[in-house]
Amino acid sequence: MHPLLASRARLGSYLLGWLPIAALLAGMARTQGWTWAEAGALSLPLCLLGAFLFLSAWTLCRALPLGQGTEGLANRGAAWGTAALLMGGLWSGLAWLLARGLAWLPALSGLPFKVRTALPVITGLGILLYLASVALSYLLLAQARTLEAERRGAELQMVAQESELKALRAQLNPHFLFNSLNSISALTAVDPVRAQEMCVLLSEFLRRSLGLGERRLVTLGEELELARAYLAIEQIRFGSRLQLAWRIDPAAEPALLPTLLLQPLVENAIKHGIATLTEGGVLTVDAAVTEGHVVLSVDNPVDADAPPPVGLGLGLRQVRQRLLGRFGARSRFEASLRDGHHRALLVFPLETL
Amino acid sequence: MKALIIDDEDLARAVVRQHLAAHPDVTVAAECANGFEALKAAAQHEPDLIFLDIQMPKLDGFEVLELLEAEGRRPAVIFVTAFDQHAMRAFEAHAVDYLLKPFARERFDAALAKTRTLLAAKEAAPVAPPAATELAATARQGRPLERIVVKDGPKITVVHLDRLDWVQAQDDYVLLRTEGRNLLKQQTLASLETQLDPGRFIRIHRSFILNLDRLVRVEQDGKEHREAVLRDGARLPVSRAGYQRLRELWEET
Repeated sequence: MHPLLASRARLGSYLLGWLPIAALLAGMARTQGWTWAEAGALSLPLCLLGAFLFLSAWTLCRALPLGQGTEGLANRGAAWGTAALLMGGLWSGLAWLLARGLAWLPALSGLPFKVRTALPVITGLGILLYLASVALSYLLLAQARTLEAERRGAELQMVAQESELKALRAQLNPHFLFNSLNSISALTAVDPVRAQEMCVLLSEFLRRSLGLGERRLVTLGEELELARAYLAIEQIRFGSRLQLAWRIDPAAEPALLPTLLLQPLVENAIKHGIATLTEGGVLTVDAAVTEGHVVLSVDNPVDADAPPPVGLGLGLRQVRQRLLGRFGARSRFEASLRDGHHRALLVFPLETL
Repeated sequence: MKALIIDDEDLARAVVRQHLAAHPDVTVAAECANGFEALKAAAQHEPDLIFLDIQMPKLDGFEVLELLEAEGRRPAVIFVTAFDQHAMRAFEAHAVDYLLKPFARERFDAALAKTRTLLAAKEAAPVAPPAATELAATARQGRPLERIVVKDGPKITVVHLDRLDWVQAQDDYVLLRTEGRNLLKQQTLASLETQLDPGRFIRIHRSFILNLDRLVRVEQDGKEHREAVLRDGARLPVSRAGYQRLRELWEET
C-alpha cells in the first residue's frame, strides 16, 4: 500500500499540498477570461482526481528503483516520460469529462468549450505534476529504506549482544572444569570433607555463572560472589601458590555493570599470572567508590621473563568493548604491565537499581 | 620400575601417587612441582617412567621432555593433562599414552600396562621414540611455536620468539641470536623452520632464517649478491631464492 494512504495525517497534508496547485490552476483560468465559478468548479475536483491519479507514480518507482550510478538511467527516463505523457493525457481527458458533466449546470454551460482550448495546457501541467510525483515517490522510498536499514541495524545489534552473552555463558573454561574435577578426585581419597566442600564450591560457581548469563546487568556484589566462588576453587588447586587479597568497599557492591565483566579478569589473573609462576603470588581484587564512580581493579604478578603481550587479548578487548558499550565516555578501561605486575582497571559510574 | 610424578598441582600429583599404590613394582623416586625440579630429579634418579603434566609454569611438559632428550634421557612418558583431548588423541599414532584429568582407575592401570609392554619390547629391540618437538608440534595442531628452550651447559634458557633476531645453521645445530647473545641448540634449520610462523620468520638463505621484524632493508651489491640489513646494523646474506620469498611476502601485504 502507498505510504501516503497508510495514515490519515499524511494523506491530509498531501491533499493540502494540492490546494496551491488548484489555486494556480484557477488563477491561470481566470487570466483566460473564465468566471470564478468556472475556474473553481473545474480546478478543485480536477486536482482532487489528480492527487489520487498521480499517486500511481509510487508503483512505477518501486518497480524501477534508483541504482548507484547512471546505469539504466536512460531506460528509467523513458519509462517516466511515457508514464508522464499517459497520465498527463488521462488527466486532461478527465478534465474534459468533468467539464461535460458540469455543463449540465446552467452557470457552467460554457465550460466544455473553454476546457477544449485549455487541454494542451492541462496536459502539460499534468506531465509536470506527474514527474513531481515521481520525485516525491523516490524521496519516500529512500526514507522508507533508511528507516528499514536503521531498524535492521538495531535488530542486528540486539542479536549480536544476545549471541555475545550466549558465547560468554558457553565460555566456561573447560581446562578449569577438568582440573577442578581432578582435584576433587584426589581429595575423595585423602580428605573427603574437603572433597565435599569443593563439590559444593564448584556447583555454586556453575549455578551462579549460569544464572548470571541470563541477564544483561548485574550488581558488582553478585559479580564478586561469582569471583569468590571461582577463586575459592582455584585456591584449593593452587594451594599456597595462590594468596587472595580482597579490598572491597561495601558502597561499591550495589553498582550495576554488564554481566560477567569481572570474571574474565580474575580468570586471566590465574591463567596468565599465578599459574605461570612456580612460587605463585598475591591476587588482589580492589573495589572503591570515588566521586560517584566505581574503581574496580584486579592485580596479579606475572612471569617477568615472558615477553609482555602485544595489545589486549580477546578477553580483555571484549571486557573493554562491553564496558564502553554500556557507559560510553563516562567509563574507562586500562590494562597495564609494570614491575612484574599486571593490572586491569575499570572505572564506571555508580548506578544502582 | 622408578617413576617421577611431574605436575605443578599438589592434588594432581596425589591422584597419581594414590593410583600407583596398587602397583608395588613401581616406586615413586620423586615428585616435582615444575620443570626445573623434574630435570634435576631425572639426572639424580634416572627414572624408567615419568608422569608428565603439560601446562606448567616456566617450562611446559614438552619442553621438559625436549631437555631430557638433549641430555640423552628418554624415559617412558605418560602425559597426565586436562589439555585438549583432540590434540592428545593424535599421540596414539606416536604410541605415547596419555591420561585425561580426571581419569578412572581402569584407564590408569591400562596406561601402566601399556608402558610395561613398551619398556619390555624396548629392551629386546630398542626403538627411537618420537622426538619431543614432534609431539609438541602435534599437540599445537598447526599453531606455530612461541618459544624455544635451549640447554646451555647447566643453564636452561627460554627464548621467546619475539626476542629472536635470526637463526643460522651450523651442521646439526642451529645458532640462535637473541638479545646480543648466541645460543646453540641441537636441531636442524629445516626442522626448526617448519615449526616457525611463516609470516614472522623467513628463510632468506640456505643457512639463515630471519625474524622479519628485524629487517630494515635489502641491499644489492654486484649482480646476484644481496644482503639484509638489520635494525642493529648486522648484515646477513640473502640468496636468490630467499629474495624471491621476501618479495612474495611483500607483494602479499
